[in-house]
Amino acid sequence: MEHLETKATPAKVAEALSLCGPSVERMEARGKDWVYDIEVTTNRVDAMSVRGIAREAAAILPMFGIKAKMKPLKLISQKFVKNYSDFTIKNDPKLIQRIMGVVVEDIQNWKSPEWMTRRLTTSGIRSLNSVVDITNYVMTEIGHPTHVFDFDKIITGGFNIRESKKGERIVSLDNKEYALSGGDIVIARDSGEIIDLPGIMGTKNSVVSESTKRVLFFLDNNDPVKIRRTSMSLGIRTVAATLNEKGVDPYLGETAILRGIELFSEVCGAKKIRTIIDIFPKKPVMIKVKVEKEFIESRLGIGLSKTAIVKMLNPLGLVTTWRGNVLEVTPPSFRISDIRIPEDVVEEVARIYGYHNLPSRLMAGELPKKPLNMPFKFEYQVKQILQGLGGNEVYTESLVRQNMAGKNALALANPLGEDTGYLRTSLMPSLIKAARGNVGNFDKYHLFEMANVYLVQKNNLPCEKRLLAGIFYGYDWRSAKGIVETFFEELGTKVNVSVLNDGKYEVNKAITFSMKGEKVGQFGVILGTEFIYYVFEADVLRAKCSAVKQYKPISKYPAQIEDITFVLPQKTLINDFIDSVKTVKFVEKVELGTIYQNAYTFRVWYQNPKKTLDNKEVLKIRERILLRVKNKFGGIIKD
Amino acid sequence: MKDEITNLRAQVMAQIEASSDLGDLENIRADYLGKNGKLTKLVKRINEVSKEEKKEVGILINETKNTISTILVEQKNRLKETSREWFDPTIPGKRLGVGSLHLMTQAIEEVAKIFTEIGFVRMRYPEVEWDYFAFESLNFDRDHPARDEWETFFVDASAHPKLGKMLLTPHTSNGQVREMLRVKTPPVRMINIAKCYRRQSDASHYPMFHQFEGLVVDEGISIAHLKGTVDYFMRKFYGENRRARLRPYNFPFTEPSFEIDVSCDICNGKGCKVCKEGWLELGGAGMVHPNVLKHGGIDPTKYSGFAFGWGVERVMMMKPGLGINDLRTIYSSDLRYLKQF
Repeated sequence: MEHLETKATPAKVAEALSLCGPSVERMEARGKDWVYDIEVTTNRVDAMSVRGIAREAAAILPMFGIKAKMKPLKLISQKFVKNYSDFTIKNDPKLIQRIMGVVVEDIQNWKSPEWMTRRLTTSGIRSLNSVVDITNYVMTEIGHPTHVFDFDKIITGGFNIRESKKGERIVSLDNKEYALSGGDIVIARDSGEIIDLPGIMGTKNSVVSESTKRVLFFLDNNDPVKIRRTSMSLGIRTVAATLNEKGVDPYLGETAILRGIELFSEVCGAKKIRTIIDIFPKKPVMIKVKVEKEFIESRLGIGLSKTAIVKMLNPLGLVTTWRGNVLEVTPPSFRISDIRIPEDVVEEVARIYGYHNLPSRLMAGELPKKPLNMPFKFEYQVKQILQGLGGNEVYTESLVRQNMAGKNALALANPLGEDTGYLRTSLMPSLIKAARGNVGNFDKYHLFEMANVYLVQKNNLPCEKRLLAGIFYGYDWRSAKGIVETFFEELGTKVNVSVLNDGKYEVNKAITFSMKGEKVGQFGVILGTEFIYYVFEADVLRAKCSAVKQYKPISKYPAQIEDITFVLPQKTLINDFIDSVKTVKFVEKVELGTIYQNAYTFRVWYQNPKKTLDNKEVLKIRERILLRVKNKFGGIIKD
Repeated sequence: MKDEITNLRAQVMAQIEASSDLGDLENIRADYLGKNGKLTKLVKRINEVSKEEKKEVGILINETKNTISTILVEQKNRLKETSREWFDPTIPGKRLGVGSLHLMTQAIEEVAKIFTEIGFVRMRYPEVEWDYFAFESLNFDRDHPARDEWETFFVDASAHPKLGKMLLTPHTSNGQVREMLRVKTPPVRMINIAKCYRRQSDASHYPMFHQFEGLVVDEGISIAHLKGTVDYFMRKFYGENRRARLRPYNFPFTEPSFEIDVSCDICNGKGCKVCKEGWLELGGAGMVHPNVLKHGGIDPTKYSGFAFGWGVERVMMMKPGLGINDLRTIYSSDLRYLKQF
């Protein structure tokens, strides 16, 4: 409450902040203090400090009927110079927008007072010594990162602010060596030696120690993009870096440096304070945002008075003027990158008003037209059929290692690891892996997956082909194939099979499924394994299957059913055999039953749609079958 | 005579014990207890014994008769059991091997159904995408962290001269501008459910995940409509007693932007160990940024819209009672897990 005047309870402040501003993730009591853990979004670096949060609370609490006001900081006023006579800073304004610095002399660098140590510790910052603690304290309280140099270590050679060359090395203040990749903002002496990685972390050769008597308290307002690049590539994620990469308000520098000076006097007993250096050649441009009252109201879905709107905006630091029904908004320096268009103003009004206070209703108005021929219903139906047939659906990873990806697979430029470096072009290796993982736990299973594979196309995005694939373990050929046949039957479609020769499968243990003359998929024993695999293209399957099953009238006349056993020569394809027998007139259906050596038992349905067949007629049909079998397949009936 | 009876008893008991079927037993019964049975005959000879012994012998005969009857019944039951005439109706049934649909499929179908009920059209957009649709057209700054190589996967392929680098879409929002360009004139009411990829892996992040993206564009669309849609989804998916809340957030492609929370099912919004002061974080949403509408060929002065994109896994894992706490469990191919759903 050093910064905020209010009677709100700590819990109420937390609730109000979460609903209308930065989210309070957790709160806990530490002695007399309450510690909030607050998530501030990246666009609101102005709120990433104690005072920033206090300003938010001061704007938000009144909407909950609680008075709140920011307490101003009492700061000593100071004059500014461009440089010192004994120390020169050469800046590149493209790298650092504003530099502020002050030399503080005759200091004691000792242990910080209890209040400072306690506050830093509860903010998750380790207390080191009073000089370093002041830099962290100012950053946490005010929101601008600050740094401190041992002035006697850097006085010769001045500051040259430049970009690093590739391969230049630094040793950080925590004694780690880094090689720079080039283009990083660095501060160097005239000799070229780097003496700081500004905005990210200090270096060992300029660090303060217990014996330090003179310090340069330094603020640099850097190019946020360069800061992020350097911080990420070196893996140095200091609090300063995470603030600087979001673009800290350069006008905050004044408050920060004055607050720092105050603390150097109070905590380190500084006797002599020089004039502050301020290099700020290019100031940011302030832009007014114009927004209509009706625009705000239509986006919120409610009506609001002009005074109500400005009452919500002003405590945030936004300067407002109504011109008729148009509101002119000038954001403060700490919000200029964040408030640029009318929608940004809508957000400020809406959140302070409270999203929880806005109405909730569904859209009226016309419904959009649904595009024809979408695949979703079919895809779900297909999965349900396979589930009904005992299949267990899996979702395997589409990012795989190179030897699982298939030929011509797309590689990632920045994979997380070599196990996930490629976009797969086949589901087979993933399903083998999934099937292998279950061997030992179950003796029989059928896994399936529907997922995209990614096939390279020249000068275009890859073709995302949706495949339906499955794998059987512990199933013999006929049971596995029977499941796939039942699947097609459920889809209400007929398939033809032909022998497939493909290196992926065991020789002579694979087939192609076709529908209406077009290949739709494969089925076979995977080479070198005992797994049976099948794969279909989902879109082709869908195109070939009619959405509506057609009714076939049920015959009024019963069929005569007979089991016949044939002795067939080796290498007879039973599928062709059945297809052929079925073409004999009045043979309605033929099914394979048991097989014993070369003797195959078939169940044959004799049926005439127009009348009941008598025994004499059945015998005639039977004769025709036997003749066909003998002539075409060289088979004979078994006695 | 007492000895005769005792001998007879020993004899019949041995015979009963040796019997192997019900026919044998019936023969034994007739042999001893029948009209001309051995025991029956003995009874008839009762007058042969002295007066003093009569009472004693009478008791012995009766006892013997009862004993034989009892063990005959016992042996009969025993024989019935061994010959499977006994039936256990509580015996475990033979189960059919019905398979399972993956949790993700179940969640995706449920989400799709809820939104199609209120007029959303389900679409599918690319998983491998150009930078333009994933970032540029969505108003991401050139230097936005999501566009750098630490957060998004890039494909090792040549860039498109106009649409930029090829990447794995980190969100289903890549469908926003594509859908606007397809529809041309609002109303737009789309739900896009697809695989997304991000360069992170831990208990709550997996490089591959699924999102569902809702996009509504029409005249006069307000935050109230977004709230209405979110509330509708929450109630359908989690139950009528659950509530949603919006918190301020920041995304490049929406203005204003929100984080959506759902009330915790355990404490019902009061605050407990599981949740964040009574609320669970669900995902992001916001009013479509005018620049995004412009990229979609839609006039932002005439139309407005809202969008949301949430992780299917996350939304599903927050269903009370599911009990999956590690995202990586979801993508296991272990049948011991798959068969549970």
